[in-house]
Amino acid sequence: MVNLKDVQYIKLKIKRRNSPQEASYWQDFQIPYRPNMNIVSVLMEIRKNPVTADGQKVNPVVWECNCLEEVCGACTMLINGVPRQACAALTDKLIEKYGDRPIQLEPLTKFPVIRDLMIDRNKMFDNLKRVRAWVQVDGSWTIGRGPRLAEKDQRIAYEISHCMTCGCCLEACPNYNAKSDFVGPNAIAQVRMFNLHAIGRMQADERLEALTDKGGLQDCGNSQNCKQVCPKHINLTAHIAAMNRAANAYVLRSFLDK
Amino acid sequence: MSKLSFFLRRFHSLIALIPLGIFVFVHFMLNSSIFLGNEAYMTMVNFMKHAPFVIVLELVLIAIPLIFHGLYGIYIVYLAKNNALQYKYYRNVAFYLQRITSLIMLAFLVWHVYTLRIAGGGTEDVYGILVSTLQDPVGFILYVVGIVASIYHLTNGIFTFCITWGICVGDRAQKFFATCAILLFVVMSIWAVGILLALAAA
Repeated sequence: MVNLKDVQYIKLKIKRRNSPQEASYWQDFQIPYRPNMNIVSVLMEIRKNPVTADGQKVNPVVWECNCLEEVCGACTMLINGVPRQACAALTDKLIEKYGDRPIQLEPLTKFPVIRDLMIDRNKMFDNLKRVRAWVQVDGSWTIGRGPRLAEKDQRIAYEISHCMTCGCCLEACPNYNAKSDFVGPNAIAQVRMFNLHAIGRMQADERLEALTDKGGLQDCGNSQNCKQVCPKHINLTAHIAAMNRAANAYVLRSFLDK
Repeated sequence: MSKLSFFLRRFHSLIALIPLGIFVFVHFMLNSSIFLGNEAYMTMVNFMKHAPFVIVLELVLIAIPLIFHGLYGIYIVYLAKNNALQYKYYRNVAFYLQRITSLIMLAFLVWHVYTLRIAGGGTEDVYGILVSTLQDPVGFILYVVGIVASIYHLTNGIFTFCITWGICVGDRAQKFFATCAILLFVVMSIWAVGILLALAAA
């Protein structure tokens, strides 16, 4: 256990890349220790004075961030190999947990890297569109508010509504990769939420149809990493299991009804 | 057809339990006749070999489902980008083991079925080959590894079957089924080693 009083520098090892076409490389940085920092504030310090640990002046590290309170998901990256938000990764906690060795920062591996720690997250939003993860209200007349949700359904929907499409579950999922077009755990959970919604459930079958299409929920292999890494503690595996039940019933029903 | 992958996956999951999983239980039950002595075992093997329509049952209930499950399973193994070293969670290690044991099981079954069923010959010959294989320490160890890997694949598969078919959803239900699967793994492994020891002692 490292005593924070003895720590002089916060050391970082950052995986960098100048452009999508170029190969990535590692660079070490260090900044004088200050208490109560997070990875975003450390990266801001580096931006002020972009000099590597061995004194070489370099381009500042590029990363994305927005809300700074773990609700937008923009600053998600691999921190010591774990996918999480840079804003919620406190350096003091990291040093206490991993010791005084450099904190390793890498861009997520399941998305195209734009530059340094900045990635193209569009695939996640495309996957949400694939499963029609929205409430359809556009039409020629108003549909009204719909019936009230039961308390137990509200609880389930509220938990899923915490999802910020940050990509942690997709990063950790062994079945979400370049070889497959799996929609991913978050999209499956979103279908559960919108299928519970009072107005959203009017398109429940369309969503289940999309969810059982190629790359749908059948590609889940039950490794359950998604649930382990979810920063919002969404019980993704339970939502996937619930959607398995709904999808099986839907496919059987649509076979027997036609 | 856009639902093809859904149907193949679900079919792959279903046939693993019905009929293949059930067959494993029956296979264990029949082989337990060695506990009643060599005579009983020989009577069982003889009966099974000469049962009516046995070749049809073997093809429809075992060979065809097994070949489909194996071939599509290899494709599923190929699809995963395993990360059990990076994410050492229990379920993720089980996910990886499920794929490793599937390959061990495949190699074991090719050997097991080829030596005892395809190249086997008469009842006496099959019995002879089996006993002499098990009396050789290497053969015995290969059998134990092959069968224990197969039982892991089956019991962990029963648990994931329960999720795939939406039987257990919540944490408590999943934990209950996972515990049952582990208990089944232990019981069946002991059972299998017991059968192998009894055969080796024959």
